[in-house]
Amino acid sequence: MKDTRDFLLEIATEDMPAGYVRPALKDLEQSFSKGLEASGIGKFSPVSFGTKNLLICYIKGLPVAPEASSKEIVGPPKRIAFDKDNNPTKQAIGFAKNQGVETGDLKVKKTSKGEYMVIQKKEQGRTAKELLQEKIPDIIKGIRFPKTMRWDDSGLKFARPIESVLALFGKERLNIKIGNVPQKKVAPLFPSQYLKKLKKTCMIDWKKRKKKIKDKILKAVKGIGEKAIDENLLGEVTFMVDSPEVFVGEFDKKFLDLPGGVLKASMAKHQRIFPVSKNGRLINKFIAVVDGKKRKNNKVRKNYEKILEAKLKDSLFFLNEDTKNPLSDNILQLKDLIFHKGLGSMFEKIERLKKLCSFICDKSGESSLKTDIERAAELSKIDLVTHMVGEFPSLQGVMGGEYALRSGENKNVATAVREHYLPQGADDGLPQSKAGAILAISDKIDNVVGFSGMGVGMEKIKISGSLDPFGTRRNAFGIIRIIKDKSFRLNLDELIEKGIELYGVKIKVDTVKFRNQIVDYVKDRIDFLMGDVRPLELKKAVLKSGSFDVADIFKRQEALVGIKEERYFLEAAKVVERTGNILKGAKKEKIGEVEEGLFKEGPERLVWDAYLNSKNKIQDLIKKEKYDEATREYAGAFYEVLHDFFGKVLVNTEDGPLRLNRLAMMKAINALYTERVADLALLPQIVVK
Amino acid sequence: MKKLTFVQVIDKLNEFWSRQGCVIVQPLDTEVGAGTFHPATFFRSLDKDPWKAAYVQPSRRPTDGRYADNPLRMQYYYQYQVLIKPSPRDIKKIYLDSLKALGIDVKGHEVRFVEDDWESPTLGASGLGWEVWLDSLEITQFTYFQQVGGKELDLISCEITYGLERICMFIQNKFNVFDLDWQHGVKYGDMHIRHETEYSKYNFEEAGIDMHLKMFESFEKEALVLLDKDLAYPAYSFVLKASHAFNILDARGAVSQSERPRYIGRVRTLAKKCAELYLGNR
Repeated sequence: MKDTRDFLLEIATEDMPAGYVRPALKDLEQSFSKGLEASGIGKFSPVSFGTKNLLICYIKGLPVAPEASSKEIVGPPKRIAFDKDNNPTKQAIGFAKNQGVETGDLKVKKTSKGEYMVIQKKEQGRTAKELLQEKIPDIIKGIRFPKTMRWDDSGLKFARPIESVLALFGKERLNIKIGNVPQKKVAPLFPSQYLKKLKKTCMIDWKKRKKKIKDKILKAVKGIGEKAIDENLLGEVTFMVDSPEVFVGEFDKKFLDLPGGVLKASMAKHQRIFPVSKNGRLINKFIAVVDGKKRKNNKVRKNYEKILEAKLKDSLFFLNEDTKNPLSDNILQLKDLIFHKGLGSMFEKIERLKKLCSFICDKSGESSLKTDIERAAELSKIDLVTHMVGEFPSLQGVMGGEYALRSGENKNVATAVREHYLPQGADDGLPQSKAGAILAISDKIDNVVGFSGMGVGMEKIKISGSLDPFGTRRNAFGIIRIIKDKSFRLNLDELIEKGIELYGVKIKVDTVKFRNQIVDYVKDRIDFLMGDVRPLELKKAVLKSGSFDVADIFKRQEALVGIKEERYFLEAAKVVERTGNILKGAKKEKIGEVEEGLFKEGPERLVWDAYLNSKNKIQDLIKKEKYDEATREYAGAFYEVLHDFFGKVLVNTEDGPLRLNRLAMMKAINALYTERVADLALLPQIVVK
Repeated sequence: MKKLTFVQVIDKLNEFWSRQGCVIVQPLDTEVGAGTFHPATFFRSLDKDPWKAAYVQPSRRPTDGRYADNPLRMQYYYQYQVLIKPSPRDIKKIYLDSLKALGIDVKGHEVRFVEDDWESPTLGASGLGWEVWLDSLEITQFTYFQQVGGKELDLISCEITYGLERICMFIQNKFNVFDLDWQHGVKYGDMHIRHETEYSKYNFEEAGIDMHLKMFESFEKEALVLLDKDLAYPAYSFVLKASHAFNILDARGAVSQSERPRYIGRVRTLAKKCAELYLGNR
């Protein structure tokens, strides 16, 4: 048995922001496993623990003494290492010299790239202790935080001041030098003993802690309300308390007059407490999480209750101030509210939104909603200048809807205002009402176009992938999801173009080029939303055809995925592929209309008759969006007859006019399917069995 | 333990922090929004010389007025400000000890240090730290300064700002600020209700807009003149006056959303110049 020891690193800090701990633990685990592997000590799976004050990484069974390892170093390829007389070349001599060996020590090794010269070098590895001692300061400094700070003259940066570090290798305390941070003094203990001792004072395992809080809340809610937990808040509170306890508190029923969103936002923001609802409505109770049994007492509960009421009183003040006048009275204030530098004011934005909404209503056959939606667009941003949204920015839209209702606007208008920021993220719900959906689409198109037009949104995303500083990706996804959900028949090309046009001189771009850029960007998002379709090329085939009508794209995809194993689907694909291949050879020539007078051989006539006989029926089926039947019809009409045709007739004949006429026929047949359904030639290996 | 009055809380804090080596400074006699604006913090946090100070600072936030109708919000209230440079390693413990000195049982109440990135855009100052919550009420702002007057600091100060009224609420178990005992037999309300109501009305309804607009311009001009004459303290006092004039205009609804950042930027520019002058960098 090799001599091994357990290892533990503990970084004790002043209270870290709740959101910082989990990512930091991940960073720690990764740096250790990478570092240990890179230095040849081996593969290990570090385990981490964390609280607001502690970042701990624990690794079981690190070898004390390193094994002498043999390392292979690859040099030049054999063909350049020796000349034709088999003497070592400059390259071989240089390589050997650099590695401190004789050319005679070089060996030949076969690799996938050919034969290479290699040497085997014995290396005395470094001890784990040395390595840890050296690497730990860099590992600590390498933990990434959204924001870091300095606190003493060492200039060391961390999320919050580090109080101490402790690194145990077996019972031995390693000497870690980082900034002015002192080393924690502990009695000699093994890492596992240290952890055990620590676990007695607080719950260092955050997953267990989170579960404990959740269980306790659910238990407390039992009998008084419904089980529903704000997961974001739960995640945050998990890193605010070490030994969670919960209690139920109450507040005066009169505060239930406040909109539910306000109550929830106030509880979460000001006190990090959980609301309780019953039959879908909030009741005058809350659940608080505190740290340790000693703090779960009546005095603390009463304080929480009184503070909540004081805060809610302030919200009532905001509500009263905000509702003194009808919402629409504040509309001119939007002239002073900047939408974004270079993109004008919010007032200009709502003017654009009104027009875009009206355009969408016309295009989607929802003209009857026009009056309501235009009104909603007009009111959509006014809540940004209210007290309540100033206090709780997350309530934008929600307050707008609430205030619209209280100002006597009709329900459609209020709902549309409330819903128009949806969806806020990939998991967020969509607008339920049609009016809300149309306003939401308009708002998002205006955002995507505006921010991309400034030349920042789109490019940044393309470069970084993960960043979405202007919400361009989120907006693009939102647009697609809403259109799909509501099955609006909209051509996105037109919509985006309209969005660009409405910005006027604010965006100085080549409209068509810019539109295509955005369209491509949105198409990539559709591709993603289409999900895991096999073969992948089926998505491309669908996206290549038809207009940019999102609902239709999903409809075609669904239809084709459903029949992709059918023989007639494969036959149709074969028809598209063969006609497509023939046409590829004739790209530069101008293919005109088919002239029946030029037919020379029997099969030509047969193919053309098949076209003339089936064309109307297939087009009709496509128009009715019966893509399954259209595909079946298409295969039935052309597969056999084309097979015969290609066997007997040479399309690419020397006779120019004859050749063009035959190509014209192929083009007509190909287009009949690919223009509107899918370019199935993109599929890999189409085999009709 | 006997419940401390408002004045006794101040006494206790003075006693506690002077034992920590702080100079007990007196309040600034100019209207300010927070203790940070006092030169004992703004100027003294800039250089590399060690400095420890503690003081009460009456603070004015015109938009926070509630006509004495809200138990927690007022447009005029008192901060207790501590500034220590360099920040001691155990400053968090010292702070908790100060709460104990006030008779607060920190183990029997939910004391939380909640992330807060503090920023004063008018002073070009920012720092990282926490709001300290006692049973979910913010009682203290705890900040490690990183930048003041637009300058990255060489030596980090720790700023601790107690909300005196809120701490008293806990100590006296009264959740309306106006019910607090200022001294025995004198309520906080006796001292402040009329003041609070009248100033709320003044800030929101009556303050002369034209006059404050003109004052802002004049104060700014005066600050610039004084900066040119290398008079850092007087120049800075006009920066504070300009800042307060802006706050009144803001409460009066006389500053539009788009003008706001510009006003704040103008004050910040002046504050930066004062900081540079103080440090002799001009």
